[in-house]
Amino acid sequence: MKKRAGIHQAHRGPRIPGTAQVDAWLLVPVLLLVASGLVMVGSSSIAIADSHGVSTYHYLVRHIIYVVMGALLALAFRGIPVAYLERISRPLMWLSALVLLLVFIPGIGRSVNGSARWITIGFANFQVVEAVKVMVIIYMAGYLVRKADTVKIRFFDTLKPLVLAAMLTGILLVQPDMGSAAVITAIVGGMVWLAGAAWRHLFILGAIAVPVFGFAAMEPYRLRRIVSFMDPWADPYNSGFQLTQALIAVGRGELFGVGLGASIQKLFYLPEAHTDFIFAVLAEEFGLLGVMFILSMFMLLVTRIMIIGLMAHKAERPFAGNVAYGIGLWIGLQALVSMGVNLGVLPTKGLTLPLISSGGSSVLMTFLALGIVFRIRYELYRDAPVKVGRVANTRGARR
Amino acid sequence: MIPGSRLYAMLLIFFLCSVGLVARAVNLQVMETDFLQGQGKARFLREVTIASTRGVITDRNGEPLAVSTPVDSVWVHPGQLLEYPENIKPLAGAINADAEEIERKLTQRAGKEFVWLVRRLNPEVADRIRGLGLPGVYLQKEYRRFYPAGEVTSHVIGFTNIDDVGQEGLELAYDSWLAGSPGLKRVTRDRKGQTIEEAELIKESDPGQDLRLTIDKRLQYLAYRELKSAVLQHGASSGSVVVLDVDSGEVLAMVNQPSYNPNDPGHDTDGMRNRAVTDVIEPGSVMKPIAIASVLEHDLAVPATPVETSPGYTVISGHTIRDHNNYGLLDVTGVLTKSSNVGVTKLALQLEPQEMWDTYTRFGFGEATGTGFPGESAGVLRNHRRWRRLEQATISYGYGISATPLQLAQAYAAIANGGKLRQPAFIQGSNNPPISAIDPDIANAVARMLETVTTPQGTGSRASVANYRIAGKTGTSHKASASGYAAARYVSSFAGFGPVSDPRLACVVVINDPTGDEYYGGLVAAPLFSEVMTGAMRILNIPPDDYPTILADAGNTAGGQ
Repeated sequence: MKKRAGIHQAHRGPRIPGTAQVDAWLLVPVLLLVASGLVMVGSSSIAIADSHGVSTYHYLVRHIIYVVMGALLALAFRGIPVAYLERISRPLMWLSALVLLLVFIPGIGRSVNGSARWITIGFANFQVVEAVKVMVIIYMAGYLVRKADTVKIRFFDTLKPLVLAAMLTGILLVQPDMGSAAVITAIVGGMVWLAGAAWRHLFILGAIAVPVFGFAAMEPYRLRRIVSFMDPWADPYNSGFQLTQALIAVGRGELFGVGLGASIQKLFYLPEAHTDFIFAVLAEEFGLLGVMFILSMFMLLVTRIMIIGLMAHKAERPFAGNVAYGIGLWIGLQALVSMGVNLGVLPTKGLTLPLISSGGSSVLMTFLALGIVFRIRYELYRDAPVKVGRVANTRGARR
Repeated sequence: MIPGSRLYAMLLIFFLCSVGLVARAVNLQVMETDFLQGQGKARFLREVTIASTRGVITDRNGEPLAVSTPVDSVWVHPGQLLEYPENIKPLAGAINADAEEIERKLTQRAGKEFVWLVRRLNPEVADRIRGLGLPGVYLQKEYRRFYPAGEVTSHVIGFTNIDDVGQEGLELAYDSWLAGSPGLKRVTRDRKGQTIEEAELIKESDPGQDLRLTIDKRLQYLAYRELKSAVLQHGASSGSVVVLDVDSGEVLAMVNQPSYNPNDPGHDTDGMRNRAVTDVIEPGSVMKPIAIASVLEHDLAVPATPVETSPGYTVISGHTIRDHNNYGLLDVTGVLTKSSNVGVTKLALQLEPQEMWDTYTRFGFGEATGTGFPGESAGVLRNHRRWRRLEQATISYGYGISATPLQLAQAYAAIANGGKLRQPAFIQGSNNPPISAIDPDIANAVARMLETVTTPQGTGSRASVANYRIAGKTGTSHKASASGYAAARYVSSFAGFGPVSDPRLACVVVINDPTGDEYYGGLVAAPLFSEVMTGAMRILNIPPDDYPTILADAGNTAGGQ
């Protein structure tokens, strides 16, 4: 009712309290996913916490702290006008490259399990690639606004952002972080395509990109991962270990799951149970029902973000629309890939499930991005009588 | 281009991907679920045995002689422990071992998942290790056998090995009775090997059954103490004491020297033998009562029949049989009192070999007593058809025949029991019905004759027990060696029973290789017999029966006041 009142008010005048302008279609899936994430991080991290000699709820508490920090970050970005983001979008590509290179600087960068993905900020480690994803989206949104007309016909304008993305990918492959490289490349490609790039240009780029990724995949350890992904049961105790354990976890779930907290696979059989493989634990504890619930929440969320993007485009706010598209692509892709990995249809990547997995950087940056989406939606509400008339009218008519 | 058409296409792709993931989830969670659950179970379900307690062995009064107590053993998962090499030092400190050696041992077995580190720890050490909480180090409950009486009962009871299987003695003989059958359960384990829950009980563990012995711990201690000091005093190499209950044939005490600590048996197998059962001796003169019984049985003499032993030796088949002294004209009783080889030879040679063999056999010689004690020896009594005259003569005074101390005790208990022989029993409630070995009158006659041995005139006067009438016989035999009978190596023995008016206890004492001047049974074995019997009479509250002495003592005491 509150929301409807807000829309109603929007018809009357331009000055309305911002807090009333909250999109329930956006908020509800976010809240449900975050709540599921809290439950699953709590459930899946208890054994790990005990074995690491920290208190039982160490990881849950940490996750809650990040969620709270993320919510504050989202609120902060909801207060930043989209126009301001557009102004700073231009240098973000270069900045993101610099930020990515930070991890290689001794003293700042930190390496875990042979991957240099983190930088140390005082008390915590930050996985910079998560911030880079947001920066790339904002940069791309601005770029596609500037080249809105030419990107559809000029090959170079299609090529340029992808070359820049390839540069980032190159850095990520050195770290190495194959999963994020793929996600960033897909976000950039997806945004370019949504902006209306010519099919033939994209085909040419695809023809170039596939061998590049193929070559990267020839790295022996990656190749092993990919081969073992094809048939994990061939060597279930070495290369196929993670995947077979994830599949066992999912399979144990059946229709309704073994029950919250009853997962056995999270007891060290499944590595990274509270981060990369949290979805497998969820599938074990809540079964097919849980899988379908989480999937539909993500689809609802992504669809809503995309629709907000479409609304922004229709309101002639192409930058905001592009940003929303990018964020929708990001969350949708990363969720699908992470769940696909957990279900054994994609090779293991080291990607978190947005809003669900424990992992500070991912939580913070996802919330930040959602804050921007809320801001876009808010600005559409705010200016509705003037510029979002049709959408508002549609809603009004339904009433 | 329709506005948003690419966006709708994108959303359609997302939607199709989602449908694909749901299909995959259905595939895994509905269609493949049996296979995947089976794979899961193969990884986290383990069958574990449940330790079962071994039965308690008690003495006849319920005093524990062997008990199983729960203890902790430590095992390690080498791979997990070696991940943190710095943990090895505190672990080694806790169990008092060398850290480098542990590390070497674990590195050699790095591929294994289970290596015993130490078994059967003291509770405080186990607590210390539990407190360390090191990854890859686990405690497992086991049972450890404790023998409260230690070396005193070790030969009878034996011991178990580290896996709780009987190795010696009654622990071995009654292993299947004592041993429980371990149970089996299926447990869910996490990947680090810790049990999360017990999924299923496959088989309950059956505790072993208790075993109540006929041994009386008090008598056992007494006999052990006296034997040990006697063996020490005479510098003997070994010795045995057996005490039987005359009425039931039950073994009340059975001790040997040297002994060992069954709580830590080591590898000294020499000390582990229960010599009273496994080792045979040539009994010597303690066999004479059996020969005399045979003579009386066949009406060839009565106790008062005169026997000429002059000049103290006799020649049989070219061999001279000698007495210690020339005892002159004795009667049959006197032959036993003085232990005359000449006398008993003359009497025994009147018997057909078969008659004598028959009597010996009825008294249990030449065959195992049938207790089922591991390693029991039957002794040797050659078939009478192969006896030569000289052999019959030597067998009458205990050479050319061998027997275990237990067999001797069994025979003497039969004499004391009115001729009814009962198989010795270690376990209460054994089925050992009395078998008639000899006519009761003859048994009683032999008993009365044997009583003279412990009088001041007899060879076994030192075996006497104050206020009790004691019957018995000394024995001193040269030890057989590869080159014939050794000149200066003896087996000194005494066998007897009491109180004669209503015999309760039969006791056999054997001392091997006493060194020094004293080696006669009357000097070495008889005093030990007396000590054991004196104590046993008191412990068992057996009423004195030597009325003349008691009355005389009372009179003296009264007169003195």
